Amino acid sequence: MSTLSTTESSDLRAKQLSKRGRIKWGRIGAYALLVVFAIIYLGPLLMLVNTSLKTLPDFMKSATALPTKLNFQNFADAWVKANFLRYLTNTLIYTVSATVIYLITAVFVAFPIARGYIKGAGALLTLYVIALFLPVALIPQFQLMLGLGLYNNPVGYVMLFLVNPIGIVILVNYIKTLPMDLDEAAAMDGCGYFRFVTSIVFPLIQPALATVAVLHAIGIWNELILPTIYLTNKNYYPITRGMIVFQGVYGSNWPTLAAAVLIMTLPMLVIFLVLQRYIVSGLTAGAVKG
Amino acid sequence: MFKRSSVLIGVIAMLATLLAACGSSTPAAPAGQAPAAETQAPAAAENVTLKVLIHQNPPMVDFMNTFNEQFQAKYPNITVDMAVVNANDLSTVTQTRLTANDVDVVDMFGFANAAQPYMKNVTAPNWQTLIDAGLLMDISDQPFIKNYDDAAIKDAGTYNGKVYQVNLGRVSYSGIYYNKDLFTANNVAVPTTWSELVAACATFKAANIPCMTAGGKDGWPIFVGAYGLIGAEYPDQAQLVEGLWTGSATWNDAKSLDMWTKMKTYAQDMMETGASGIAGDAAPGRFASGAVAMFPGGTWYASAIDAAQPSFKWGYIPFPGSDNADENKYLFGKYDQGWVVAGKTANKDAAMKYLTEFSDPANYQAFANAVGFIPTQPGATLSSPIGAEVAPYLANFRVGYEQYWVAPKGAGEFANPYASYFKPFGTFDDPQALADKVQADLQSGLDANK
Amino acid sequence: MNNYHFGRGRARLAPYLLLLPGFLFYLVIMLGPSVATGVYSFTDASGIQGTALHWIGFENYREFLFMGQASLDNYAALVRTLIFCFCVTTIQFTLGLVLAMLVNQRLKGVNIFRTIFFMPVILGAVIQGLIWSLFLYPLGGPLASLLGLFGMRSEFLGGQPNEAIAWVIFVQIWANLGVTMMIFIAGLQTIPGDLYEGAQIDGASPWQVFRNITWPLLTPNVNTNLLLNIIGSLQAWQLFLVLLGYRNGTQVLGYLIFAQGFGQTSGSVTSAFRQGYAAAASIVLFCLVLVIGLPVQYFLQRREEKILG
Repeated sequence: MSTLSTTESSDLRAKQLSKRGRIKWGRIGAYALLVVFAIIYLGPLLMLVNTSLKTLPDFMKSATALPTKLNFQNFADAWVKANFLRYLTNTLIYTVSATVIYLITAVFVAFPIARGYIKGAGALLTLYVIALFLPVALIPQFQLMLGLGLYNNPVGYVMLFLVNPIGIVILVNYIKTLPMDLDEAAAMDGCGYFRFVTSIVFPLIQPALATVAVLHAIGIWNELILPTIYLTNKNYYPITRGMIVFQGVYGSNWPTLAAAVLIMTLPMLVIFLVLQRYIVSGLTAGAVKG
Repeated sequence: MFKRSSVLIGVIAMLATLLAACGSSTPAAPAGQAPAAETQAPAAAENVTLKVLIHQNPPMVDFMNTFNEQFQAKYPNITVDMAVVNANDLSTVTQTRLTANDVDVVDMFGFANAAQPYMKNVTAPNWQTLIDAGLLMDISDQPFIKNYDDAAIKDAGTYNGKVYQVNLGRVSYSGIYYNKDLFTANNVAVPTTWSELVAACATFKAANIPCMTAGGKDGWPIFVGAYGLIGAEYPDQAQLVEGLWTGSATWNDAKSLDMWTKMKTYAQDMMETGASGIAGDAAPGRFASGAVAMFPGGTWYASAIDAAQPSFKWGYIPFPGSDNADENKYLFGKYDQGWVVAGKTANKDAAMKYLTEFSDPANYQAFANAVGFIPTQPGATLSSPIGAEVAPYLANFRVGYEQYWVAPKGAGEFANPYASYFKPFGTFDDPQALADKVQADLQSGLDANK
Repeated sequence: MNNYHFGRGRARLAPYLLLLPGFLFYLVIMLGPSVATGVYSFTDASGIQGTALHWIGFENYREFLFMGQASLDNYAALVRTLIFCFCVTTIQFTLGLVLAMLVNQRLKGVNIFRTIFFMPVILGAVIQGLIWSLFLYPLGGPLASLLGLFGMRSEFLGGQPNEAIAWVIFVQIWANLGVTMMIFIAGLQTIPGDLYEGAQIDGASPWQVFRNITWPLLTPNVNTNLLLNIIGSLQAWQLFLVLLGYRNGTQVLGYLIFAQGFGQTSGSVTSAFRQGYAAAASIVLFCLVLVIGLPVQYFLQRREEKILG
């Protein structure tokens, strides 16, 4: 079961394999394995959908049974009670702006490190790798943001998400796979550093950018504790903060919570679906070759 | 190939600028103005925004929303900005918002657990730290204090002779909810002694009805449910705590061993199979489904039970931990939440109006009804079903062990009288072995601080 | 340094200037507070402004590492953390690679599978925990019903500590496998197709293709994934919080620190603000992750240089 990446090679390989009559078994095996995993992955998610369609007493009587009649009220409740539209917009603004700013600054950090274009590139990378291990410093960070006047301020909140050492490490590793000739050729054509990075490097590292973007965005989207601490003005609440209304200390309204979770997750899922096409596109392999 | 990708980058960049622009223009503008408005407000004595912080508990949140509207109608110049956080985050958010001077009135738990003179080398509880840092306001002179009973103000509100909190109610946790229909159908009388409870469970089990349920997955509902067993052995829990610190009581003496033996029965024979997987917030629903005969737990569950199944008939009795029915009349519990005011608030006047309005007997009564607290105002009564159930025992209300207990530093993780250490919730099977482990874990901390 | 092609003099400063914003954010938002944590760990700081702060030397460390049964419990948590890390890393890495290779083939519907496997990542720990608490509900939940068909039963997350931790390992892998897979896919996509064609023509077996082409060329992604998995699992605490809560015999270091820092060691007992002590505990965890992570990173870097030149 080997790995094939581009159209030409897989077609070639498929032809050869089918000649030997082994292809069928390989495919069936691959599908069987995928389906088993898909069940493990989808089962619990279907349970969530099932729960979201039940009434609270129904759910309490039997958690697993299918709903006797579809109860879409939960979705309506979730939408109204959690002030979804407003909070969802806020989350979208935070996520997109922080991710975009982060990606741009990160590439300008990762590129010179990967290329050794700055003094102490190795030390800088080590600093970022060490940052992976750093403890969460919630209270000191709060004191800092308060001191900077960025408490209860959307700009300050976005700033919290402009660092992500994992992304730098991924980008550095990826940029290292780009041939050095590229830089030389571009420079000979009179391309400046800034223009080279923005118009040539950025497109070439799309898969890595998409990976980092998705990972980073998910982290912001799902963040729960930071908005609780940093954003106390209701107009600034992200969606996770609004979800609190469905939880209780002594009894949670699980069906409505499930419905809210589904509404909250949907936009992120769409973003992922859009981005994943660029990870998959296989543009890079061709671009690097050419 | 480059073309396609640059189009994509262009689109992303455009989208980003657009959203970033929205982000900075709409929400950021009020952010810049907010501090200015705050400083001007008290001087002009006009429009004031009163910031209130409470924890998420649906019945209370509903009540507060109604109350806030009523309050704003009475004082049109005051706008109440109430934030709700999860109970788990309340302490952290209280800390950060008080530090940032971003809150006026806060709902605070656990104004108890003060370090006693016999406790060595323990850290002050967080409310003391807040007072010492000047972050809570001395409200001793406020007239509304007089609306509350003296015991509540003294036990859960006073520090160094000054009042910092008005406590809003007691809850009991040493009771059992029972399913009236199942008791009638199986001809079981409501148990008043430990043996009767054991017999009742045997009857239910024989009829294939699980005897008890509780949110075993979270651990604490199991030990909170068994509070009556600690109470049966140690009616004076303040004295118990002092005894444990000074060595006159241990978790593996004969008295305690009797308690552990009963806890084993409770955890292994009374709890239903699978209770260890039920989450704490799912347990009231499980009981309300009518499948289980009993549910040991706090008075705070009543509203969740009713919400899950409004027509369900239940009763509430003190956990019969002793074979002497007379020793089973106590309800153990704690002082629940209370209001504190930020020490540096610029809206003191509004904050006091808020608490005065809240403490008005009619409003307080409505609050107690909504959340099901045992009232701390002498004139108020708990008229909800749970109130009627606990009314006969109120004279025997006692503050529970955990409200006095502060563990010595270095004590092991088992240094508590928790029934949840027994299988299937924990790993222990033998009461003696568990008793010895609990005492050893405690002793290790006591020794470390000698 | 000589290989810089984009000019000299002032033009040579461009990479430095453009790097500055990202690096500044890093210094201010991340490194600064972490350094402050290090400083706090030597004090009795409560974390409340306005309270006195005293230097107490290594007292917090002494308490965490050497004081009474509590410190022994901390070591037990440390051992648990290492076991958790080992299980999660090995299984997640292997499965991630297998899945990546499966869905990177020209099979119909791989896009759907890819999306399915990545879905949990999108949800975040709280919702992942909610979903599995529902799915593993022992009274008539789906899995309990399934086991019941075979006459078996289990308390799942509420079961004995070892079983409970096994379930957290399972959910942790379920939740993060998508990331591992995606990073491998990104790597697989960069392997030029003509290499495989060449191998085909030479008549290489699938294993030889994997051993000599795929595996070496995946080295950067192997490194990224190993490092991410190790660090992620050493610091993991959120799933322990949402799936198990604070239960004796199940805590790992990350959760221990969170619980102590936030005073959530049990359901109803109030606690003290002990920023200094919590800081010391997190510095201990930091050292542990460093001691394991840095050599691994060094070794992987060396290996990568050897393979890729």
